[in-house]
Amino acid sequence: MSILIALPKGRIADEMLPMLSNTPLALNEKAMRSRVLHIPTATPGVEALLLKGSDLPRYVAGGVAALGVVGSDTLDESEVNLLELADLKLGVCRLSLCAPKGVTLDSLRMKPHLRIATKYTRMTRTWLKSQDLTAELVPLQSSVELAPILGLADAIVDLVQTGGTLKAHGLVEVEIMGRTSARLVASRGAYLSEPTQIAPLARLLTKALQQG
Amino acid sequence: MPTHTPHFPDLLFPAAKRLRHWEGVLMHLLEEQGYEELRPSLVLREPVETNSIRFFDGDHLVALRWDFTVALARMLMRRFPEPPRRIAYAGDVFRHAGQPWEPVEHFEVGCEHIHTDPSESPDVDVELARLMMSVPAVIGLRGGILALGHAALLSRPMEQEGLSKELAARLVWALERRALHRAEEALGDHPAAKRLLAHAETLLVEPDGEASLEALGHSPYAALLEDERAHLQRALTKLQPLLPPNLILRLDLADVKGHDYYTGPTLRLWAPGAQQELAAGGRYDRFFPELGRPWYAAGFCVRLTRMLDLAETRPELFENA
Repeated sequence: MSILIALPKGRIADEMLPMLSNTPLALNEKAMRSRVLHIPTATPGVEALLLKGSDLPRYVAGGVAALGVVGSDTLDESEVNLLELADLKLGVCRLSLCAPKGVTLDSLRMKPHLRIATKYTRMTRTWLKSQDLTAELVPLQSSVELAPILGLADAIVDLVQTGGTLKAHGLVEVEIMGRTSARLVASRGAYLSEPTQIAPLARLLTKALQQG
Repeated sequence: MPTHTPHFPDLLFPAAKRLRHWEGVLMHLLEEQGYEELRPSLVLREPVETNSIRFFDGDHLVALRWDFTVALARMLMRRFPEPPRRIAYAGDVFRHAGQPWEPVEHFEVGCEHIHTDPSESPDVDVELARLMMSVPAVIGLRGGILALGHAALLSRPMEQEGLSKELAARLVWALERRALHRAEEALGDHPAAKRLLAHAETLLVEPDGEASLEALGHSPYAALLEDERAHLQRALTKLQPLLPPNLILRLDLADVKGHDYYTGPTLRLWAPGAQQELAAGGRYDRFFPELGRPWYAAGFCVRLTRMLDLAETRPELFENA
């Protein structure tokens, strides 16, 4: 039975997959060029699954994949029971409260009915509680920057990497709420019940991918 | 037409037969060691857990039994001025699990050892570990891993450093995920952060035997945890020679799951490839004093629902599958 490693498609993958080339976990290039999502690696018996980030924790927590790489924002938004073995320091972003230029945290505090649009409702609720603030959360999946401009919300909570998208929409970071990055995760069962197989693979992945 | 819900699985012939057989052999094992069966009611009336199955019986809010230890404790409080020393149980419990795909109905067999003299605790802990070591053989599991931990390895340093309840919970959560970086985030600039992080690193060594104990000797809290270290050493020395073939004994110092409940040594039984532990338990000395009885207790529970799942998905792990 093959050991499966779940890797995310998209932004983190673009940064991560070249780092795996020339390692025992390099992904088979021929399979990568096809449309299959189940890719052999250079190590027989170890295969990679390419998954959407938001689905990935389920595959690992359910034990389908023994290991995985996923953003801490995805982990913090879900309530899955898995192990988080390393901060790979890849794909680093800030989770920030952003608002139109000129708006401050104090002016947002003064609003009698504060509305915040975000994809990250769980993390935003935790932060609001820590700040003793109440707000109505407007859940959005994408193009969150439009919400304050079009009057759907007073502010947004979103991931910020360079700040370019914010600037293009006339928004600024009012408060940095946290930092997110890619994490190496493991299925609790696989890691604790087959340590001799999984722990060396975890070390190999960490060595290949960890930045800084 | 009635619909099937995965949270309340029906057992078809092979699984029903397996469950009946396993309950029988496990209860026989416990009986041989002097554990007598108590059977608390399936319905509990007292204030109930939020993750239980609750409903109204007339004007009374009641719940289906969600945990045997709780149900047994209520029975003992009412009927036993002195604790029966060795108790066994078997049956169903109903509770909503952490993961949405997990069943709500669980089949369990377990045991509790309750005593009034704390000096008995070390021997009781070894007795329970020996019993858990017998579980794989009696149910026909080809191999397993018995992981020993100790809840005090984290709670005593946190108490000594005066961590707030909230910070302690965050640190436990980080270690439960084996995430040193989360522990670092949680501790931030706390005055004891450096010491606690060095200790967390010690606890997070890969599960092993003697090597884990040696690592514990280098913790900043090594002196504080000398009794716990000696206890684990004694357990290893006593249990190693008794290990059945195909069972591996490990120390898992970072086993902090159930940290708010367990007070001493903890036990977990794994099978290679199992996604969750198949049996779990430990010492929980705070439980009865909180109910007004000065009793010391330890026990474990074999999670037969997980065994049934494993027999279905990984039959090669069992004899005569």
